Amino acid sequence: MTGMGRLIRGGERLALSHYRLEAAQWAEMLSAPGPTLPLVSCWVDERSASVLVLEGDRPLLASTPVEDRRYLAPSSRFPGAEWGERVGYDLYGVEAMEARGNGAPALDEGGWTSTWPLSGQPAPAAGGLRPLAGSHLLRPEQTGLSGPLEFSFEVHRGAIRTVEICAGGAHRGVVSRLLGKTPEEAMPLVSRMTAGGFVAHPLAFARAVAQARGLLPGPGIRDVWMILLEIERMSIHLLDMARTARGVDAQLLATHCDHAREAIARACSEQGVSRRLMDMVTCDGFCDGLEIVPLAQAVHATMQPRLAALEELQRVFAPRLKGFAVLDTRLAARFAVGGVTGRASGRGTDMRRREAGMRLEALRTTGSSQGDARARDGLRLSEIRDSLRLLERILGSIGLDDDEPAPDRTGEGIGVVEGARGDVWYWVRLKDGRIENLHVRDPGVSLIPVLESMLRGYPVSRVPAALGSIGLSPSGIAQ
Amino acid sequence: MKGLRRAAPLSVVYAFMDAVRWRPHAESATPRRDRPIGLYVLEAGGCEGCFMEIESLAGSAFALEQAGFVCVSDPEDADWLLLTGAVTRVCAEMVDRVWRAMPPGRSLIAVGACAVDGGPFPAGYATLGGLQALTPVRRSIPGCPPSPQDILDALQELARL
Repeated sequence: MTGMGRLIRGGERLALSHYRLEAAQWAEMLSAPGPTLPLVSCWVDERSASVLVLEGDRPLLASTPVEDRRYLAPSSRFPGAEWGERVGYDLYGVEAMEARGNGAPALDEGGWTSTWPLSGQPAPAAGGLRPLAGSHLLRPEQTGLSGPLEFSFEVHRGAIRTVEICAGGAHRGVVSRLLGKTPEEAMPLVSRMTAGGFVAHPLAFARAVAQARGLLPGPGIRDVWMILLEIERMSIHLLDMARTARGVDAQLLATHCDHAREAIARACSEQGVSRRLMDMVTCDGFCDGLEIVPLAQAVHATMQPRLAALEELQRVFAPRLKGFAVLDTRLAARFAVGGVTGRASGRGTDMRRREAGMRLEALRTTGSSQGDARARDGLRLSEIRDSLRLLERILGSIGLDDDEPAPDRTGEGIGVVEGARGDVWYWVRLKDGRIENLHVRDPGVSLIPVLESMLRGYPVSRVPAALGSIGLSPSGIAQ
Repeated sequence: MKGLRRAAPLSVVYAFMDAVRWRPHAESATPRRDRPIGLYVLEAGGCEGCFMEIESLAGSAFALEQAGFVCVSDPEDADWLLLTGAVTRVCAEMVDRVWRAMPPGRSLIAVGACAVDGGPFPAGYATLGGLQALTPVRRSIPGCPPSPQDILDALQELARL
């Protein structure tokens, strides 16, 4: 147990991994000697500020009360907490003391109906959109991303020096729409959080709800969830590979990725489920009528024969991606960047490895850790091969039992899923069967603080290609 | 040759031959036009599912251009604006800017449930609740999300009107 972990565990235990710290304990935790635990997420509302960290591969959640609308900023210790602090201010008007950064709005760009809309006392809206700083803009429709994310840059002699990100265009107020609903009522909306995680997001939510209810899904449900997740992983990896390829004019590789992704979608459709597996996951299992074995077999039969061509083409075009949009190993570790982007920069975290019932022998991927677009793309293809291997293993022993004990029912739960674009986390607190509080952490959030480093030195015209190689979901980041 | 096709492609040439063999064809007769209809796609704050399905349609797995359409990257080259997502209040300015940049004769088409009335994201502090909050929605393609083939069929139907 680390010094920081010990200090967190010294607080009042509220749930399985959740500890409440008084202000003095919170300050002590933030200045604890020894290594800093990797921060998964930070969030704030009017009542409390929270940080979710990893101790080994186990989550540890610490919260402290917000007093007089202020709290000691966790970014004073965890640099990655800055985004959550800014979101907390935009939504609740709660101020982070001694925070890093310039405190610029994360979501509120000025077009909302009120200021601090989720606080008990919202203020009148300022009116009009906030003008962006920076000498160059990349409008939301120019980024090459699926959703509206706006960038402003300071550019010197044609090269990017600083980056500011505005995510307000993609903010739909999803969390506020979920509060007060039963988990079952909330699930259709959770399933539409982001198309980059039509399986990953509802599955992380279902796992959090199950933990809050003191339930443990049986091995049959667990294996169905794993299969759905691997199908989604292959599909999203192909999408990101196609975008990456188009960014460097590798049209032939993009064409093969397009066809493979569409073939997976059609295989799903022919098996009677939605093309992108939307609405497949329910709070206690999966939707009626899902025949998982034929679905997995059909997708496997569709994808396996295409791998050789994809690998060949990737070898041909990989030099175009060498050294492009590099994420430094130290930054990946410092900001706990997950998913393919983190692993391609030497961070070994894959939350699938801690799952009960995981066929670990199928996860064999070891790729380059150069941190560039070539490493990310190579890893994606390698992970597709792993996904196919995993489907084979699961089909060979589907529903195999294990000894995982059910958690105690505490009304609170944390769920995590290793989605295609990284680790998706949900924290949920239930009261009288309804959602009293909720936090969603999309893996894209951990990329925000490292983007400037990845884009620095490039002309603005290269930014869409770089973003395509990273795999960002604006709708997941801003919700 | 049959044996070669069966084997996994071992070179870019084989991969290219595969891609040509897979090339989709428009299934229905396409009305002759002087030039293809330019489509500009804009996501205005949804889950991105509809946008991704249009991206698939514009990729190489569908015969969009053979059906008489072309996706453009500049609104000044566009005839139709395909709008996806629930239209957040921040994005309203973007929608207006893109719309004004399009040449006369432009059309607006809401793709997916969110773009029409917000779908699961109705009006709130950050969202307008779909295009209907801005303008009467006369042309729309339903679905959550509609498949690329659904979108293509609907576009062809709209082109015939």
